[in-house]
Amino acid sequence: MTVAPGDRAQCSDECREALRRLGAFLDGELGAVTRSRLEHHLAECEPCTDRRAFEEGFRELVRRRCVDEAPPALRARIMAQLDELTAG
Amino acid sequence: MSETPSADGRGAEPGSPVRRELADADRRARFEAEVLPHLDRLYSAALRYTRDATDAEDLVQETVAKAYRSFHQYREGTNLKAWLYRVLHTTYISMYRKAQRRPQESLQDEIDDFSFYDELSRTTGSSPEREVLDTFTADEVKQALAELPDTFREAVYLADVEGFSYKEIAQIMDTPVGTVMSRLHRGRKSLQQALHSYARGRGLIDGPREA
Repeated sequence: MTVAPGDRAQCSDECREALRRLGAFLDGELGAVTRSRLEHHLAECEPCTDRRAFEEGFRELVRRRCVDEAPPALRARIMAQLDELTAG
Repeated sequence: MSETPSADGRGAEPGSPVRRELADADRRARFEAEVLPHLDRLYSAALRYTRDATDAEDLVQETVAKAYRSFHQYREGTNLKAWLYRVLHTTYISMYRKAQRRPQESLQDEIDDFSFYDELSRTTGSSPEREVLDTFTADEVKQALAELPDTFREAVYLADVEGFSYKEIAQIMDTPVGTVMSRLHRGRKSLQQALHSYARGRGLIDGPREA
């Protein structure tokens, strides 16, 4: 049976440390030493690996769902504006 | 950035109308080639910042105009995307946030304890699959972002959508790195909380189980 990471009582100190660093880890902002320690822990801890996948999925969700295209009219306005600014 | 006259401009006197025209054409061509490919991204960002399509168009147009006028200040070979987002940020502040003059925004302290993952584990009794996230629509994600206070929304957008580093976001928003980190942390938590409540609202997730 896998232990849900939400079940704090069953989490080791290592898991708590991993969870605390997970955000910076996913943002690519950890120093080399801390990062490799965390990677080492993830390699052998299934609940934390699940958690990592989920949090990564969250960042991806925001990235994938926030894409819009500039309306053609805006492009046209911008080109006209550049003409004006270049001429001026 | 040193000004290199194009081959055709060699015969013209420096400062002469002919030469200036060539420099202008050169700048225009460079600007179009380097900046305009970012237009969709800038518009997406502007939509998130202003939460209004008309305002977003105005903001992008003004940002592009400012960027064009100060394009000579951009040093070639440095981070163009970060430079553009810096221009977008300052333009946004001067066009919108100044007019609003809202009190310092914050998120409730309880937000630090919220975790979508933990909520889901608690109510389902098993490790949540990341696939559950795929059920969220673009409208829901955009709405959840729109509910965040300005500065949190911008930080989360710059990190999660644009992939800027903490340091780049600090430069773009002219704020200490520590502030960026705390806005990201709390902004993401708040985003998760909003999405969690949408999911519950449409029956995707059960409420807390009865003890």
